[in-house]
Amino acid sequence: MQLLRDLGRRKVRTTLTILGITIGIWALVVFGSMANKINALVAGGSEFYAGKVTVSAAGGSMGFGSPLAISAADRIAGLPGVDVVVPGVSLLMSDQASTVSFGIPELIEGQVAGADRGRETFALHYASGRALTPADEGSDVTVVGSDIARQHNLRVGDSLTLRGEPFTVVGILEPTLTAPDTTAVVPLAAGQRLFVASLPTLVSARLDPTAIASGLTVYPKPGVAPEAVAAEIKTAEPDLVTMTSADFDRQVGSSTSILNAILVGIALISLVVGGLSVINTMAMSVAERTREIGIKRAIGGGRLRIVRELVTESALIGFLGGAVGLALGAALVLAANEAGRSSGTVLFQLTPGTALTAVAFSTLLGAFAGFVPALHAARLDPVTALRYE
Amino acid sequence: MAPTALLEGANLRKTYRLGRDTTVEALRGVDVRIEPGEMVAIMGPSGSGKSTLMHILGLLHAPDLNHGPRPELRFEGRDIVALSDAERTRIRARRMGFVFQDFNLVPTLTALENVMLACDYAGVRGPAARTASRGALDLVGLAGRGDHRPVELSGGEQQRVAIARALVNRPSLVLADEPTGNLDSERSAEVLALLRRFNREHGQTFVLVTHDAEVGAACDRVVRMRDGRVRDQAPVALATPVDLSPRVAAVA
Ligand SMILES: Nc1ncnc2c1ncn2[C@@H]1O[C@H](COP(=O)(O)OP(=O)(O)OP(=O)(O)O)[C@@H](O)[C@H]1O
Ligand SMILES: [Mg+2]
Repeated sequence: MQLLRDLGRRKVRTTLTILGITIGIWALVVFGSMANKINALVAGGSEFYAGKVTVSAAGGSMGFGSPLAISAADRIAGLPGVDVVVPGVSLLMSDQASTVSFGIPELIEGQVAGADRGRETFALHYASGRALTPADEGSDVTVVGSDIARQHNLRVGDSLTLRGEPFTVVGILEPTLTAPDTTAVVPLAAGQRLFVASLPTLVSARLDPTAIASGLTVYPKPGVAPEAVAAEIKTAEPDLVTMTSADFDRQVGSSTSILNAILVGIALISLVVGGLSVINTMAMSVAERTREIGIKRAIGGGRLRIVRELVTESALIGFLGGAVGLALGAALVLAANEAGRSSGTVLFQLTPGTALTAVAFSTLLGAFAGFVPALHAARLDPVTALRYE
Repeated sequence: MAPTALLEGANLRKTYRLGRDTTVEALRGVDVRIEPGEMVAIMGPSGSGKSTLMHILGLLHAPDLNHGPRPELRFEGRDIVALSDAERTRIRARRMGFVFQDFNLVPTLTALENVMLACDYAGVRGPAARTASRGALDLVGLAGRGDHRPVELSGGEQQRVAIARALVNRPSLVLADEPTGNLDSERSAEVLALLRRFNREHGQTFVLVTHDAEVGAACDRVVRMRDGRVRDQAPVALATPVDLSPRVAAVA
């Protein structure tokens, strides 16, 4: 009570101090959210690949690229460690290979619905509409991820043009923060048709679309490690390339590691800048009160009590600055995400952990930054503190 | 002399270091003795060390220990030089009152809260502190200004708030640096009469630093300083009348 009263009577100084802290915490929240997003992309991808082996023809990468004969699926299904094999096609949604966007590219995925026999563990939730069913084979329907739906402003029943062909949207997914968000899932037959059409005519002329896939998803038998299955496949089918979540972590991890290093660097810099701005503003505002501390000491105020009062006040100011910084940072992050959504560049992810850390950081640092000059002033003899300007 | 002085200092020195090899010797070895119930004036030219002496007597400052004969300082018979900071703080809070040359009120607190803060430090809180603080402000003629912050008060008013703060705990020793320095002669006479009355009625001891010969004349004894030394400390002629005119007494 008395604390709030004192802060209220020092409005200008308190406001400036809170503002200084706000700026630091704001930077922390914004850059922290950016680093979070990158981490979520990488972690989400690795989760997406968990528990299975993705097989593709040599020369392709990450499940799209060269065609492989669908007959390989039957041979692999016969391997001892293998439970289910799901053939599928995936290709970039855009035929302009030069399109570079942040994060995961937009993909078309073709699969027979339910072919995984319930083995897929990556749970998808539908914001509207329905999942594809085996009965959809032969028709041009699609289930789209949240980012695609937003970007093309799609509702269930709308038409979406994929590689020049119209598809009817029957379902829209909830955001997953990873690959499915930027994926349009179509029945296998439709996927095969689009895939073959995307290949050079010289190649495609010799192919039967129904006999090819661009990749296989292999689910191991219960208790068998995906890595063991991958080894089996490599021995049996030397022409094929396998990928497990461990491979994904290595591959994607290394390709995003530079970006990650930059972001961690930025986050650290913002931590230091944010931290210094908290320390600086708080230390200044307490040091300015050395004289007042001298007065209180002179008329009989104990060191401990005076320091305790100032630390409490500093913690409160740190908390307020942190809360305002968090609010402003959250506002910017949300606005930027909203603006970036239409172009598919969602740059930030503000997690409760980041929010909590930012406020706790500013509160604790505020208390500490107040404590040091308060202790210094309280240890001066009162006359010296009184002469402080 | 009486066996126990209220305050007794010997070999008090204070040297301030200004630069690498510039020092100011504010006190060059002072011996003083203040008896209980005395009202003493400390007089002398500017820079002669009056405030420095008052700060040392008020335990706000430690005398130099590293040169010259060992300083001694006793308050109510207790050796102060060896006390811990916490014990000295406690003595300041409960046994002493201060009026500083530049008032030193807490700027964010109102006049009443400034006085109540002194009560708080002395262990008096709640309604008792409020009543005592109101009473003290009343005594210095500021009953109506309790809710004003120091910036909203004139120099003379701030000085009187500082006096109220010094008196509110009924300390056995009040140390006041120019308590009438910012007051016109009428107010000055009132405040002086008030201090004298407290001195007489409650047996409180007052040490007043002053430039004002009239203030000196109203005290029991004048300690005269020059260049960091006590030049003489003669009792004021007994004949000096204490001005307790009816008007002033009514205000007090
Ligand atoms: N903290 C300090 N640092 C440096 N020098 C100081 C300090 N305090 C006092 N002095 C010096 O010590 C000397 C005595 O100062 P003091 O304040 O005791 O004088 P004074 O008699 O109270 O003067 P005045 O009547 O002007 O208040 C002065 O020369 C002053 O400049
Ligand atoms: Mg002085």
